[in-house]
Amino acid sequence: MSNSHLLEVKDLNKSFGGIQAVNISNLTFENNMLTSIIGPNGAGKTTFFDLISKFQSLDGGEILFEGKNISNSQPYKIARMGMVRTFQLTKVFDRMSVLENLMFAGSSVRNDSFFYSLFKFGSQKDNEKELERKSYEVMEMLNLDNMAKSYARELSGGQKKLLELGRAIVKNPKVLLLDEPLAGVNPKLAEQILEIITNLIEEGKTVLMVEHNIEAVMKVSERVVVMAEGEVIADGAPNDIRSDQKVIDAYLGSGNE
Amino acid sequence: MKVTSRGVITILVTTLSLGAVYVLNPGSATRLMFSLLTFAGIYGLAAIGLNVHFGWTGLLNFGHAAFMGMGAYVTLLLIPHAAGREGEVTTTGLPLILAILIGIASASLLGLLLGLPAIRLRGDYLAIVTIAAAEIFRLLVRDLEAITGGVYGIISYSDALQKYRPKIIDSLLVDMDISVNQTWVGVIAWVCIFAVLLLLKRLNSSPWGRALRAVREDEDAVRALGKNSVWLKLQSFMLGAGIGGLSGILLAFNYGSLQVSTFVPILTFYIWAIMILGGVGSLSGPIFGAIVFWVIISETDKIAEIIFENANGQQLAGVRFALVGLLIMFLMIYRPSGLLGKKEELLLDVK
Repeated sequence: MSNSHLLEVKDLNKSFGGIQAVNISNLTFENNMLTSIIGPNGAGKTTFFDLISKFQSLDGGEILFEGKNISNSQPYKIARMGMVRTFQLTKVFDRMSVLENLMFAGSSVRNDSFFYSLFKFGSQKDNEKELERKSYEVMEMLNLDNMAKSYARELSGGQKKLLELGRAIVKNPKVLLLDEPLAGVNPKLAEQILEIITNLIEEGKTVLMVEHNIEAVMKVSERVVVMAEGEVIADGAPNDIRSDQKVIDAYLGSGNE
Repeated sequence: MKVTSRGVITILVTTLSLGAVYVLNPGSATRLMFSLLTFAGIYGLAAIGLNVHFGWTGLLNFGHAAFMGMGAYVTLLLIPHAAGREGEVTTTGLPLILAILIGIASASLLGLLLGLPAIRLRGDYLAIVTIAAAEIFRLLVRDLEAITGGVYGIISYSDALQKYRPKIIDSLLVDMDISVNQTWVGVIAWVCIFAVLLLLKRLNSSPWGRALRAVREDEDAVRALGKNSVWLKLQSFMLGAGIGGLSGILLAFNYGSLQVSTFVPILTFYIWAIMILGGVGSLSGPIFGAIVFWVIISETDKIAEIIFENANGQQLAGVRFALVGLLIMFLMIYRPSGLLGKKEELLLDVK
């Protein structure tokens, strides 16, 4: 285990009807780092997230999380191991309150179980109190606390992004896979989300994020992976990426300086 | 307790419906009322089970009749009964309460067996599979005559329940031309409703109920948060099926003889109509839905009289279907949240 990486993919590939969506021969991620994945539309970034969270099956290859092969694991098992994702199109529980969204996310498998709920063992009450406290803490951080009892569908698009991020935070995973956390979010809110993400890194978490906001990506990321047509075309520190000719050709364009 | 406009409307509609029975049937209203409330209790119970599936978890179950049938057949075959063409008598059996518990468990087990392959299917596909499975169940019961009595059905099983009938029912209803047997079944049905509602209220407000609602809202998000959505759906399926099974058992005791034709798909659709009328997702809605529904069913002949002179059974059935169809259409257009459903949690997004 000494030289195993937090997350490692080998020969990962996936195609849709003959079109190669993802083809990565080797990519590793280390603990406690903020890595951004960028690239043009259709580059396979979201598919890459779908594959490592097993929301889509692989055509071939291997995914190792903390040295364990998760290539054939169920998505919920991967989340339980400590790698939690969000979605490009937000998936909040519309007809549940914001508080319920968060409490569900933080609730343990045991706390959710039928018999535990039926007989309401005393400890469940304590669990729920603790969950509620944690949820309010996260809501305060996300400025959602005044919406605690509102239905999640009443939130604005940006607030839904926040709620989804909040759910992942309440779950307290080791790794967060954030799919376009800044999409459709106003500049001020984006600033706030970036701050939350950098705080997560300070707390010792690992974040992988797919994002189109290049300025933000370059500012906060420690490492940037560039994908195009399913393959990794560049991988390195933000400054190196900025000056990489292949990246400029494929994605950034010459106007970027 | 908070008084809501929904609550007021519900009480009003239910009272008016029951009042209409008295106005339309001078003389025989009380007798009708006892029968109506017994049926409403039994169907309401089935709708409460269906509500766990659809209202709580978003599962489109169109095979509820099979769960009801499973409960009824297993229970009746485990107690003294007579079955089949020759009316072959079985005099021994399990204690009634044990037979009922096994009947409920069997219905749950059928839910599990049906759910294992089918529950991964998306909404409408699950609906197709459940309706087919319910028909397979009914045809199997019909053709396995040696075990189930087939088309000849099961008779002579009511004593197992009626021997426990409290004397007070007989003395209260003496000289009233009201079936004491049916009244006893009705009393049990309503006791069951309140017991089941207490249980469900506890579950609904629990983390388990919250998890089911999350599954209803977005399964992908549930899985992404480390929850086994398939297992949650299976649990919901088993619980609702078990409640359906209990309802089926009571239905059998209410009829006094069991015919396999009781469990045709139309039974499932009646239960759906009751659930929608009462309010999808609402805990006690199905009860009121069931009462209003049964008032409409029992007064069908009054409406049929407008169209037919001395309507026969077939014509009555036709009018009944048309009325239920109109009722569902009316609800979908003007009040898709039903009597007690919350508008904000509307599950039938029809517009």
